[in-house]
Amino acid sequence: MIFDPFIIAIFAAGLYMAWNVGANDLANAMGTTVGIGTLSLKQAIVLGGVVSFSGAVLFGSRVTETVAKGIVPISLIDAHSVMLGALAAILAAGVWVTFATYLNLPVSTSHSIVGAMLGFGLVSVSQGTINMGDIAWAVLLKIVASWVLSPVAGGVVAFLLFTMIRQLLELMDDPLRADRPLRFLVVVASCWVLFALGSNDVANAIGPLSAALGAVGTELPMWVLVFGGVGIVLGMFTWGYRIIETIGKKITELTPANAFAAQFGAAATVLVCSSFGMPVSTTHTMVGSVVGVGLAGGLEAVDLSVIRKIVFSWVLTVPIVMFIAAVTYMGLMII
Amino acid sequence: MRYMRSILGIFAESPFKPLYSHAEKACEAAYKLEEIVQAYCDGDVEKVQELNEEISELEHEADMIKQEIRKRLPYSVLLPVNRQDVLEFLKPQDGISDCAEDVAKLMTLKSYVLPKDIKSGLLEITQMTMKTIDAYLKVTERLSQLVATSFRKKDIKETLELIPPVEKLEHEIDTIEILLTKKIFLAEDEIGTLGVFHLAKISDVLGDVSDNAARAVDRLRTMMISI
Repeated sequence: MIFDPFIIAIFAAGLYMAWNVGANDLANAMGTTVGIGTLSLKQAIVLGGVVSFSGAVLFGSRVTETVAKGIVPISLIDAHSVMLGALAAILAAGVWVTFATYLNLPVSTSHSIVGAMLGFGLVSVSQGTINMGDIAWAVLLKIVASWVLSPVAGGVVAFLLFTMIRQLLELMDDPLRADRPLRFLVVVASCWVLFALGSNDVANAIGPLSAALGAVGTELPMWVLVFGGVGIVLGMFTWGYRIIETIGKKITELTPANAFAAQFGAAATVLVCSSFGMPVSTTHTMVGSVVGVGLAGGLEAVDLSVIRKIVFSWVLTVPIVMFIAAVTYMGLMII
Repeated sequence: MRYMRSILGIFAESPFKPLYSHAEKACEAAYKLEEIVQAYCDGDVEKVQELNEEISELEHEADMIKQEIRKRLPYSVLLPVNRQDVLEFLKPQDGISDCAEDVAKLMTLKSYVLPKDIKSGLLEITQMTMKTIDAYLKVTERLSQLVATSFRKKDIKETLELIPPVEKLEHEIDTIEILLTKKIFLAEDEIGTLGVFHLAKISDVLGDVSDNAARAVDRLRTMMISI
């Protein structure tokens, strides 16, 4: 079954999505550490690769299961249709993410893949394979709620943490003495962030793949997670370093204190979401954390107009990806 | 940045560094007053003309920085301080170089053989203005360091302590300015009615340089105590 051309196509598209996540979303998280000069670009990429791979493999199964079978009840659909649907979903998400990135829209791979799976599910409903009530609307509602809550939660944690650090620095005669320990903590926090992001975002790549393999009935095989992890690391090595470098250079106002608060806020939130199996946008959560630090007075200037752009692009993402996935699925069935 | 998704967009360009560059530029223009007033008192028309052009160029450069700062402050930008306070601080800071330019322009219009006490009055105000600008630059330099440490309360207190000297100097200049104006009005026989009007205007605008510095530090106080 592995050598079925459709399965090979899903592997290829999944690899592309994993690559895309590693090249963009995870690289963003690592850029801040390079920005404050604690790690060199090389060190950051190697460390980031190891940690995000571990996150994907050790902690990626819950979110993957949600994407694979949590939204569309694939056990009620025949194996061949599931395979086509999974292929349609991953292709739709890949195409949309690439196109939107080209347009400079801050889209989320997680939102895309969830929308794409829903598109496949709705076509199945229209064909009478499953009923409208079979789609896990309650899970979907939870996922959408987590999309709104995760940036807010990241922001609240980062806000509180930065306020606490500032109080501590206030008490010290020489705040520079806190610099070294804080720099160390930033490295720890960036590892944690990449672990969390790996655990959440790997599902965007291998969720449909696991559905197609029918591998989600009992337990997700480790090699599928490894496959996703490798794709993420490849993305970071081949393309992500450019983002890490750009961010490291351009964000000059990062200090160990505000970088630590922002990363901690994002990491804690994403990891909680991963453990609940919620595919959230890791980048949006990071943006929320940065805003939290900004509201606590920890950054020189934060551009809040980005929030409007994010809301706009996620309201756009779900219907568009749903549509692309549905059309692709129907097209594949004709073939 | 095509084909890349980054969180760079959330980090707006900070207005604080250019705010300090603007202070430096405006003060550079004001520092030129020392030379131009001396040249004016010496009756060196050519040197006055030359310095006027230099000051005008510095004022223009300060204006360019001012525009850059305003560009960086749309409503959507979140700062650690009140955005309106920053804009209202920028205005008098810009006034420092504006007034320096006005003084230079006025000095190119007409030159006189000045009575001794008017000369010494003008030079005295200028000396005091230089001291005010020194004190003013200290405040803004300290402010730029404040940003780096996320406005620690201790540092804010230290910065606030640098403000009263600027205000004190400005007040002293006001007193000298009144005395000088009186002297100018008494010198009508030597410099003519037009001369009285012209020199009174020069002394008035020269005093405005420090007025603007004092107004700017006052704005700065408002900005910092509301953190």
